[in-house]
Amino acid sequence: MKERLTVFRAVFTRELIMMQRYLVNSISGVVTLYIVFMLLFVGARAVTGGGLVMGATTMEGLVVGYLVWMFAMMGYQELAWGIINEAQVGTLEKLYLTPVGFRWVNGFAQLSQLAVNLTLLGLVFALILLTTGVALQVDIISVVPLLLITATSAYGLGFALAGLALIHKRIQAAFQIVQFIMVAFIAAPSDAWGRLLPLNLGHRLLTSAMVDGTRIWALPPGSLLTAVLVGAGYLGLGLLVMERCERQARDRGLLGHY
Amino acid sequence: MASPVPALEVAGLTKTFTSRKKPPVHAVRNISFTVQQREVVGLLGPNGAGKTTTIKCILGLMLPSAGTVRVMGNDLGREYRQLVRSACAVLEGSRNIYWRMTPRENLDFFTGLYGIPLQRSRPYTDHLLRVFRLEEKRLSQVQELSSGMKQKVAVACALAPRTPLVFLDEPTVGLDVETSYELRETLKGLVKEEGRTIIVSSHDMAVIQDLCRRVIIIKQGSIIVDDQVENLLQLFRTRAYRFTLSNGHDVHLEGAVARQFPGASISRTADRTELEVILPGAEDLYRFVDLVRESGLFIAGINQKEPDLEEAFLQLVRKEAQA
Ligand SMILES: Nc1ncnc2c1ncn2[C@@H]1O[C@H](COP(=O)(O)OP(=O)(O)OP(=O)(O)O)[C@@H](O)[C@H]1O
Ligand SMILES: [Mg+2]
Repeated sequence: MKERLTVFRAVFTRELIMMQRYLVNSISGVVTLYIVFMLLFVGARAVTGGGLVMGATTMEGLVVGYLVWMFAMMGYQELAWGIINEAQVGTLEKLYLTPVGFRWVNGFAQLSQLAVNLTLLGLVFALILLTTGVALQVDIISVVPLLLITATSAYGLGFALAGLALIHKRIQAAFQIVQFIMVAFIAAPSDAWGRLLPLNLGHRLLTSAMVDGTRIWALPPGSLLTAVLVGAGYLGLGLLVMERCERQARDRGLLGHY
Repeated sequence: MASPVPALEVAGLTKTFTSRKKPPVHAVRNISFTVQQREVVGLLGPNGAGKTTTIKCILGLMLPSAGTVRVMGNDLGREYRQLVRSACAVLEGSRNIYWRMTPRENLDFFTGLYGIPLQRSRPYTDHLLRVFRLEEKRLSQVQELSSGMKQKVAVACALAPRTPLVFLDEPTVGLDVETSYELRETLKGLVKEEGRTIIVSSHDMAVIQDLCRRVIIIKQGSIIVDDQVENLLQLFRTRAYRFTLSNGHDVHLEGAVARQFPGASISRTADRTELEVILPGAEDLYRFVDLVRESGLFIAGINQKEPDLEEAFLQLVRKEAQA
């Protein structure tokens, strides 16, 4: 336990240092996300007068959809690219040399990154609200847990793709595509099947919380539970794929041979 | 008193890489050896011999196809976490450390990864920064350092968790003579001072001869020699000769010597020819002398040459190839 805490501290410190070193990248990332949104926003207003982008029928809906997409994408990207980058530069193998196991190291890294992502997300979100005049309910107690529940499925995708890319380098090409497929997941109708897609139901619940002002405990419990289970399901599946790929990679000696 | 547990026990280690498209690669074939605590062992072998594969299998970074590995008594399969607590490494051909972090930050991170809190690791990592002469650069990002310094940081990070067993896979690769020497000297000092068990793989014989008392030579996945360096040198001491031939040069003789005595080196001065040859048996000596006699040159002097490990290594690997 104490050992894990020490490892967590080490990993968290590393993330903070890296964030500082890549500050310019972080800032330009925030700016890009903001600009992309503004283009969407202006475009949506010009074309439809209302919305209908990313499956949203209102400007408020558009903002929530974008928020979910940003958060999912940040976590997913960090995870998938993070592992592949470390394999490329040759630090990945060293992360296996720890008495607590690589899984914990990676888990701690994602956890630390999550904190960073939430901060960046908050920044873009605030910028968007300020400049577009869109009004949303930002009840942190409801919004943050819902965001987390929604994003777990994106983490599942991240684990699965990172694992596959360890074995087949070409999978990297799919990294970008998945980001756009996520838009489709968010926009798909939340019918009996649609709600089983990653991000879909969580997004719906978040819309309900942010547009209609429903508190998290007032949401339909069945839907909330489904969203949690769907997230956990994708995460579990992703971890399983990662685990199997990692074994393959160790068998074929690919951890350090990127 | 019971004898202490060996630092490393490898038995029947085998690694075959299989893939659908290519034929299987037998990288390591049934290797067994034991390393006692405080031993410093050199791992030698031509490119592709299986040194790196052996090291990575021991550390669990590759899955062995067969065999057992124990580090400080901990079994690779069943007690992996304990095993990792006892071993650290500089791995070949990769960065090993974060170039965007400073030496100080890297040391703190990699000791933290072993579950060692800062207040316990700092005194020793400070010491490492000092002995590797990195103090001045401890706050610069690694990417700004020379390749020698980068390598020193990587080695320091592997030593920092103070594991009883340390693997150094080609720690001096790509370094110039002087930097390699400096790194070697530092390592030598640390080895003497700390009494850790170290396994070094290198193509640089000076590194091995400097640091190790024992060498294991691997070729095509099998151990061909496992002996004390001193014994190997002794073996070749009696067989390495330097002949000085007077009366000019003879291209024909030089060609014949080069063909018949692999590894012979030939040099010319004004009117003399210097030949360094290894003559394993008495009949080789006669054969050599006959060749010289036919050429019409005179043997002006014979010295027994002080052999070095490089020569011993080349001879052993070549002999194995002929057999
Ligand atoms: N991941 C891998 N997949 C397939 N074959 C591999 C892999 N890694 C190594 N090999 C093969 O296994 C053999 C042993 O390689 P290894 O890297 O262990 O040799 P080495 O002794 O460390 O050589 P070097 O001195 O060049 O570092 C070689 O034939 C190599 O091509
Ligand atoms: Mg090697």
